[in-house]
Amino acid sequence: MGGRSLAAAQLLSGLDFNEIYNLQGGIKGWQGSKAAGPQELNLELVRGDETPAEMIALAYGMEMGLGVFYRQMIERTEDQDLQALFEKLADIENHHKKRLFDLLAEIDPLGKDVETYESDIRPTILEGGFELDDFMKKNEPFLHTVPDVLDLAMMLETQALDLYLRFAEKSTNAQTMDVLFTVADEEKAHLQSLGSLLEEKI
Amino acid sequence: MISLKKLFTPVKSINSEEAKKFMAGKPEGAYTLLDVRQPGEYEAEHIPGAKLIPLPGLKESLSQLDKQKPVIVY
Repeated sequence: MGGRSLAAAQLLSGLDFNEIYNLQGGIKGWQGSKAAGPQELNLELVRGDETPAEMIALAYGMEMGLGVFYRQMIERTEDQDLQALFEKLADIENHHKKRLFDLLAEIDPLGKDVETYESDIRPTILEGGFELDDFMKKNEPFLHTVPDVLDLAMMLETQALDLYLRFAEKSTNAQTMDVLFTVADEEKAHLQSLGSLLEEKI
Repeated sequence: MISLKKLFTPVKSINSEEAKKFMAGKPEGAYTLLDVRQPGEYEAEHIPGAKLIPLPGLKESLSQLDKQKPVIVY
């Protein structure tokens, strides 16, 4: 493994690229979160020419969808540790939403208040682009322990991070790209904290 | 002379820990993570945010890459 990346790295370094690194061992050497799915996955959700405000609304709906999912899970379990964890996960989504709303306020200082804003957004799509109802049906049987739930949450965050970055790749608006990079950085930090939490729990 | 020199430019290899540290120390968008495997391999698993350009088409797709940004290849 890693033969192709070495060849690619050598090709690029011969072509005026300033800084090239070959990842040792290729993907097999990567000790970190991984996303799945083809490059086009959920890209139909964006056209590419979205304004920052439009992209914030889309991301807001995605974060909201996951928040709804976690809140529903609180009701569906008797286990207090799990309830506390779902509560914490839902709070993190609220934090992401607040960050998005703050970003919007920077762009449009005379905009709506957050309640009015949120009432216009539909939480139909889960982070990572899964359909919420379908996802609940398939995954609920596997969510019985704290590590299970953390594993699921990290999977969802990883898919979301990957999707935001693929949105950025498709975007033709520099400001929208910056918004997506900011959101991606948040997801990354969040993913790291979930990882540390998982290490404590297993 | 220049091309000859470049032919022998050693490529820096970094391990997973170093790569993670590198990426954590930079904001998103400040570097490129490049996946040169085939689309099916990317679909099965990839590093979040990686850009897919399979090695066989890399030379023809250079316009998709920013030479000013550091690139981590896998």
